[in-house]
Amino acid sequence: MTLFEPDAADWQYVSRKLIPARIITLWLWIAIPLLASVVLGILASAWVFTAAGVALIVGLWGSWLVYRQVTAHAWVEREDDLVVKKGRMWRTVTVVPYGRMQYVEVQAGPIARAFGIANVQLHTASPGTDAAIAGVPESEAARLRDRLTSRGEAQLAGL
Amino acid sequence: MNDPIPVIPARGPQVLYRAPREWSRMHPVSPLLGGWAVMAVALTIAAYNIAPSWTGVDPGVQEIAHVVTRSILWFIAGVLVIMALTVGFGYLQWRVNEFRLSDDAIQQRKGILVKQLKQARLDRLQAVDVVQPLLARIFGFAALKIEVAGGEGSGIVLQFLRLGEAEAIRNELLVLAAGVKRAKAEGADASLEAVTSRIADARAGTPVQGADALVEEDPAEPSAPAAAYATSGSLRDLAGMPAGVAEVSESAERRMYEVPLPRLIASILLSWATVWLVLVPVLLAVGIIIFGRVVQDFVFAAAGGSLVAMLPLLFGILGYFWSRLSGGFGFTAAISEDGIRLKHGLTETRRQTVPPGRVQAIRFEQSLLWRGKDWWRVTINVAGYQDNAEQVSTLLPVGTRQDALTALWLVLPDLGDPDPAGTVSLALSGAGDEGGFTPVPARARIFDPIQWRQRGVRATDRALLIRRGRLVREVFVVPHERTQSLGLSQGPWQKRRGLATFTVHSTNGPVKPVAEHLDVDDARALLEAQGRRAAEGRRHQTPEQWMSAVGISDAGTADGGTASAGASPGTDGGPRDAAVPGAGDDVVTGVGQARPPEGDPGAPREGSA
Repeated sequence: MTLFEPDAADWQYVSRKLIPARIITLWLWIAIPLLASVVLGILASAWVFTAAGVALIVGLWGSWLVYRQVTAHAWVEREDDLVVKKGRMWRTVTVVPYGRMQYVEVQAGPIARAFGIANVQLHTASPGTDAAIAGVPESEAARLRDRLTSRGEAQLAGL
Repeated sequence: MNDPIPVIPARGPQVLYRAPREWSRMHPVSPLLGGWAVMAVALTIAAYNIAPSWTGVDPGVQEIAHVVTRSILWFIAGVLVIMALTVGFGYLQWRVNEFRLSDDAIQQRKGILVKQLKQARLDRLQAVDVVQPLLARIFGFAALKIEVAGGEGSGIVLQFLRLGEAEAIRNELLVLAAGVKRAKAEGADASLEAVTSRIADARAGTPVQGADALVEEDPAEPSAPAAAYATSGSLRDLAGMPAGVAEVSESAERRMYEVPLPRLIASILLSWATVWLVLVPVLLAVGIIIFGRVVQDFVFAAAGGSLVAMLPLLFGILGYFWSRLSGGFGFTAAISEDGIRLKHGLTETRRQTVPPGRVQAIRFEQSLLWRGKDWWRVTINVAGYQDNAEQVSTLLPVGTRQDALTALWLVLPDLGDPDPAGTVSLALSGAGDEGGFTPVPARARIFDPIQWRQRGVRATDRALLIRRGRLVREVFVVPHERTQSLGLSQGPWQKRRGLATFTVHSTNGPVKPVAEHLDVDDARALLEAQGRRAAEGRRHQTPEQWMSAVGISDAGTADGGTASAGASPGTDGGPRDAAVPGAGDDVVTGVGQARPPEGDPGAPREGSA
């Protein structure tokens, strides 16, 4: 059972392309200690290989986490608000009314661009609002941004 | 160039504006007022120089101080040169630092190498403060801080102006901002020119009583003030002034509460800082007496025999005392048509004005040490207040329960509850499901062995109340229409126990409302319901409601012409509007509203410790 299941929720799950994109980023970080410990293991003591093993395990575990997280990350546009859910172990649901949106930010780094996905983030006047949708297909991201912006304008309320 | 007071002809009688429409500079003494920092450095060096050895100053630092001050003449010369440089640089900065009131915003441009142009739109005005640091205060100057909701550094700071001028500009800005907002709500021309000319027209057309007819103990002339404010509305004083008066006078204010100095000092002494200050030496002494040399050696080793090592800690505690004292000194809160007015400060005085409906969230707080006296501290979130939040976000530094209820009433006159005083009292000191609160289930005990009984949430028609804390009691109040967004979260252990945490995201500030460990079904229902209530609240929010609810204006009863801008019929203020003409006893009336709780027999004052 999910944490929050609004009536007639038509969850839109994020693109699965986010999985390889995140895994690449993860392994780029894992690669540094992994290579370092392998080199040290060859040059110095074989004991250092255990560090490489640990890095490998952390990487694999991280990859599995990425898979689990991405498949739990979804959003739904309702009449008055946008709902974003994420996480499996630590689950969060954020409800952002369109009238409270200050601006919408679409972002894509080099890896995300290579996979044709983007990160759509909603900003309200509150720093606590954590409403980022990672891994929206690029074309959809632009449409989502326009839709959110126009709805925001229509319902905009003063602070 | 002296105080710029440009005269521009308006339609109707001539008006002399204080907020300049042309680019103008700050007061020419401004660079001098900034020079005190150099003096402080010089004094510090001098202090190091004469510090006796028992204070344990770093000998190296002292040596440097000796070298610097070897020849007193050179030292003075050096200080003078540095001061001249500072003032000279300040002068250059002053020359390029200009401000003006443009069409719909106040603008400031400054910077010698990097040019900067800032503007604060009037309809986005969140708060206007008049701040007087010590030196400026001695000479009668003030800085004007204009806050808009735009994150760090988005506010405009005009320093320094003559105090009178700063206040006049503040008053004018607040009146214009209210006028611009009103014009927007009515769909009229909201440009500054249109708004000012409307104000001027209103003035030409209506003879209005002075502003003091407004709120001062004016025992009910049900119709006369109503007629007056039907035409002037929130643009009051401009309309009430004789032609050619140079400035917008301050709107009449009604004082709501103040903090007497003895109570402030007592409240500061009744804090954890004092406990530490007293407890640590006592514990050490007891330790030395009981365990003898071992502890003694250890203590001296830790302290290093140097007072300097202890200084940061001491300064931290003294700094805390100082900030509480200077921030709460002479604290008074009042309401006026411009909004909530707060005045406080010992060396640096600050006069804050928060227009109606700008407070985003409220927190009540009571530590264990204050419980015997039933004292509360009330802090607020105001969008735009970014830096030194502690100083500017205090609505009540320390006050009785009555004061705290009044503070809440200032912000939220209508709590949307039949018995607001009772409900809030139960929120402040109740437990479990008292007062209609949704408690957390006993399953939460494992996370929260001490305070789980105190946790609870309750929504009234207008606001969400969140209660928590046992040692330090806390209550959050968030008006529904101020909700930015909502969050629900659940960790793996909460999941096993069927609990979830509900968060209301408010604007940046010291108040961060959160209700932890609710039953997961309650939390879900709350999320849904709060979303609906917030949407409903957003549709109905108007500053006019605040004014009529706190008894400042009779918006809504008036003939509709200029008055009830956003307060369209059908807003949930039905009973309130109907009640106003009957106002006989007090300016504040109304059915089912929070009223200033003084003398309210319904307020339970249980002395539960």
